[in-house]
Amino acid sequence: MSEPRRANSVLMRSSEITKRVVVTFAGEDIAQVKDIIYAANGGQVGGFTLNGRGFLAGPLKTSLAWASVAALGPDAVMIESDSVLTSTEEVLASTGTAGDGQHGDILGSDVLTDDGSNLGRVVDVIIDVTGVHGDQADVVGYEIAPDPKMGAAERLLIPLPDTLAASGEHLIVPAAVRNFVSHDLAGFGAAIVAYRNQLNGQS
Amino acid sequence: MRFSEAKRRPVVSIASADTVGRLNDFIVDPAARRVAGLKLKATPGNGDLLPWANIKGFGVDAITVADLDAIVLADDNLSALGDKHHAPLNKRVLTQAGFELGALQDIDFDPDTGELVALILADGDVEGARLVAVGSYAVIVRA
Repeated sequence: MSEPRRANSVLMRSSEITKRVVVTFAGEDIAQVKDIIYAANGGQVGGFTLNGRGFLAGPLKTSLAWASVAALGPDAVMIESDSVLTSTEEVLASTGTAGDGQHGDILGSDVLTDDGSNLGRVVDVIIDVTGVHGDQADVVGYEIAPDPKMGAAERLLIPLPDTLAASGEHLIVPAAVRNFVSHDLAGFGAAIVAYRNQLNGQS
Repeated sequence: MRFSEAKRRPVVSIASADTVGRLNDFIVDPAARRVAGLKLKATPGNGDLLPWANIKGFGVDAITVADLDAIVLADDNLSALGDKHHAPLNKRVLTQAGFELGALQDIDFDPDTGELVALILADGDVEGARLVAVGSYAVIVRA
């Protein structure tokens, strides 16, 4: 059977993760992902807020901390049992996120280079899931609707440095990012590595 | 032997040589990875459950039991495992890594022991030993 051997690292868009069903090892679908809670100043996935399953189900009061995720697969988010869900406040506190997640803040923000040029507006977040069962999930890039002066009609992928400065309004990235823009996820992994190496003076 | 082949097979009492029912459905114990028992129809009494331990022989033409007492009305284990919620066939098969393999079409089992040998999917087989659980949403297998 064509069951994929999970590569060491898989890039996903945050928009692919939201709505994904949350399933226990007992085979019960107990929730679906509503939104991503970011941790480490937007650099990592800290957990997920949840919606109930079914036609009329609304948001749940409980959330799923990243540490309790058994696997983030292409078809489902796997957890051991529904007992790993905790209150949303608890997950937000553990990620150092006050109030309602930073997701809304990142989507729609302008990406500004440190030499003062606006690259475009963030429309999706690229997440790198590493480890056999998706043990770690780092934010490694943004998909942007490019500013007209970029001369690109389609969405672009821009890699992120290991750390970045973010406010609700702007995301500041080093200007060198211009040389590492990608058009699809296929070549994006290599672009992230090359960009980070250059920033670290290893190019 | 596959579940689909054995469906509707008559259950015959060795004591009376009468047909005492027909196989309607398999009841699976996913944790033990074996057939826990059978759900019958057309039984002479009220009982319609046949625990695996009460089967004398699971043959190609008939399933034999010692007598009618082998068929029971209620069994805590079988009643819990036998509801629709825990029926594995036609459910999606999901690995513990969150990858969907397809719908479960059939199950291959060992008629001597009741052990589940393989889960049959459109794209191929999954070893029975990989089975973890059967829930209302999915059949879970080890990645």
